[in-house]
Amino acid sequence: MFTTGSKLLIGSAVLAVVSAIAYGTTQDGVMGTIGLVSAAIALAVLAGVNVYTRDSNVWADEISSVETAPAAAPAPGNSIWPMVFAVGALALTVGLVTYQAVFIIGIVILLIGGAEWTAQAWAERASAEASYNSEVRSRIANPLEFPVGAAVGIGIVVYAFSRVMLWLSKTNTVVAFSVVGSIIIAFAFLVAYRPGLRSKATAGVVAVAVVALIAGGAAAGVDGEREIKEHETTAGLEEEGEEICESPEEFEADEKASQSVAATANVAAEITLTEDGELTFDVPGPVEAGATALSLPRSNPNNVIFINESSEHRRLSVDLGTRLEELDEGEEEVPYRVCTTLVDEGGAQNITLIVGAPSAAFPDGYSFFVPGVESAHLELVVP
Amino acid sequence: MESASTVTNMSRRVRIGLAVGLAAIVAGCAQDAPQDTWDPAGENAQMIQDLQWPVFAIAGVVGVIVLSVVAFVIVRFRDRGQAMPEQTHGKPALEIALTILPALILIGVAIPTVGTLMALNDTSDTECVVNVTGQQWWWEIDYPTQDGCGDGISAPIVTSGQMVIPTDTNVLVRGTSRDVIHSWWIPRLNGKRDMVPGRVHTVKLQADEPGIYAGQCTEFCGLSHANMRMEVIAMEPADFEAWKAKQLSDYQPPEPDTLAAAGESTFIAQCSRCHQVDGLEDADGEPVIARPDLQVYSGAAPNLSWFTTRNTFAGATWDLLIPECRAEVWDAPSDEVGQKYLEGVSPECLNSVDLREWLRNAPAKKPMYADPEQLEATDGLVRGMPNLALSEDQIDELVAYLLERQ
Repeated sequence: MFTTGSKLLIGSAVLAVVSAIAYGTTQDGVMGTIGLVSAAIALAVLAGVNVYTRDSNVWADEISSVETAPAAAPAPGNSIWPMVFAVGALALTVGLVTYQAVFIIGIVILLIGGAEWTAQAWAERASAEASYNSEVRSRIANPLEFPVGAAVGIGIVVYAFSRVMLWLSKTNTVVAFSVVGSIIIAFAFLVAYRPGLRSKATAGVVAVAVVALIAGGAAAGVDGEREIKEHETTAGLEEEGEEICESPEEFEADEKASQSVAATANVAAEITLTEDGELTFDVPGPVEAGATALSLPRSNPNNVIFINESSEHRRLSVDLGTRLEELDEGEEEVPYRVCTTLVDEGGAQNITLIVGAPSAAFPDGYSFFVPGVESAHLELVVP
Repeated sequence: MESASTVTNMSRRVRIGLAVGLAAIVAGCAQDAPQDTWDPAGENAQMIQDLQWPVFAIAGVVGVIVLSVVAFVIVRFRDRGQAMPEQTHGKPALEIALTILPALILIGVAIPTVGTLMALNDTSDTECVVNVTGQQWWWEIDYPTQDGCGDGISAPIVTSGQMVIPTDTNVLVRGTSRDVIHSWWIPRLNGKRDMVPGRVHTVKLQADEPGIYAGQCTEFCGLSHANMRMEVIAMEPADFEAWKAKQLSDYQPPEPDTLAAAGESTFIAQCSRCHQVDGLEDADGEPVIARPDLQVYSGAAPNLSWFTTRNTFAGATWDLLIPECRAEVWDAPSDEVGQKYLEGVSPECLNSVDLREWLRNAPAKKPMYADPEQLEATDGLVRGMPNLALSEDQIDELVAYLLERQ
């Protein structure tokens, strides 16, 4: 009656109609419904064409059609793909009324199952010899299955590994990474130098390890990542009323702040507190250090590196005039200062400045200074 | 025997093919091609030229050989119903040769390419620094205080659209962006460089002769990407010193009771929220400070202190000069370009048509996201200049005022 390909297409068209009805009655928006109805129409047309051409087979009145008719062909072998396809269809339908993620997973499973089922059904029509059919299927499907399967497998393993690493404490991640790495290397050596090891045993060990890793990753993912503390910033403390940017003293933010400089590239300027207590600067290009004013572009993030060459902990502060602070009873103009944390002797710290108003907006302009060092002063010009 | 219609079709195809080929060849002979990368005007662009010619020649030879062999095989071995020839697999000597030969060619191309890239990225020989900042859809150009750029620059100079540089000087352009990625390219002076928010990228510019070198943004950056142009004006060092002196000179208010004086008031009321004119004071004698960061998404608007010392406006898209006056500058002999440019825009030469249209309704002239009602993503901040609904009298006043900004 109907060929295998026709059944697949008819089933897909019916599924698309059911999905369109389910989506249209349960979800807002018409685009999804239009898409599903369009898919149903397209599948129905394809099904009609396929029924007519009998899977591109010969016409019914030819002898060969009898010889190669489904009834004359050997029974198809066992296959898991119809079940995978059904699971995908179920997930897709459930996803329509529950979560988008389930819907997407359903589509992916449906596509994989459909493609594999189609390839297998096609290969089983190649001949009456099952082993030959299997070879034909492998020749078509393996070039796609192997790389995609490997990518997905590696992705799952890496993701599971990352969940475990983020679940462990910072110290334990180092220990775990070292131990796991050592075990893998030792096992690889064992396999390489003992070819006599049974391949099934090796595969079994690897499979158990992968399953354990995925299970561990799932458990760690459910439990959540370890607590990662954010570094204190001077800006937060200043808003709480601490005059940190005008003080050479050490505050809580200074204790907890990272002393490393991440922004080693794209630096707008380097400002150095010299041993003599002077502020000098250097910028990319032929602008000589020792100039009396540093100019930075307006309304743009400028990364400035502060290098402390003095013999004491120091911070670089910037006087940016005033700003309006919102209070319960209105607004108040307050001094606007930003600064780095305290920097060790010989250390460096980055500060990013975004200045919206030009320095001409304030009678005294803008300037860099170092709390506790009177001579350390550098004019900042923002045009 | 071929039918008459077949012959006619073939000759028609030949004629069309010849016409297309001829058009392609003639297009390469265009005289008015200010952005011609094959016409270098400075040592940096010349380095690129010296590299791309041999690479182009090598690629051309390889292409001709490959296409010739393919064409020969197609013709010589086409299917004439002959028997299938003997099939062979594997030819180690040939395969090794066909692996080594391209590798050698690529190595031969890579050596001068890497050398040129390193030479172009070496900024130790620059003598002048200019900051370039891209935003939708214009370029801000500022000269920081420095000892370079001739006799030095004592205070920042801010301009837009047109970068003025001295000839025979390697200028270091430090570029970034305030909103999306833009790309700076003056084809006759150097290669292109992306300008990325939060990053500072550098590129060198050097011009051997005075002249005007055109370019445009080469990274799609939104609605008016095609209208984001720029020009580099190279002039003799003495002319460049005169230009700097003008840019750093004090503000000259208009004569009282003139149209320009009325324009100053209109400018303060309508334009100064975004556009800075250095030295401008309000009626109380207080400096007028523009705050584009409160109005515009990019946080910037062109500084108009010396608006009519420039030849273009609105992202260098329209000329401030009428065509006859523009030709006098662009077509001037090399040694007169600087002086012609320094003459600025006279009332007779002003392209008031485009300028008035711009003031009347800027978004209608240059597509911009300037309607606050459509700017939820930017919290109401406009991209580009909005329609200020100015009256014709206000436009007259502003044109008179802007004409004196030189």
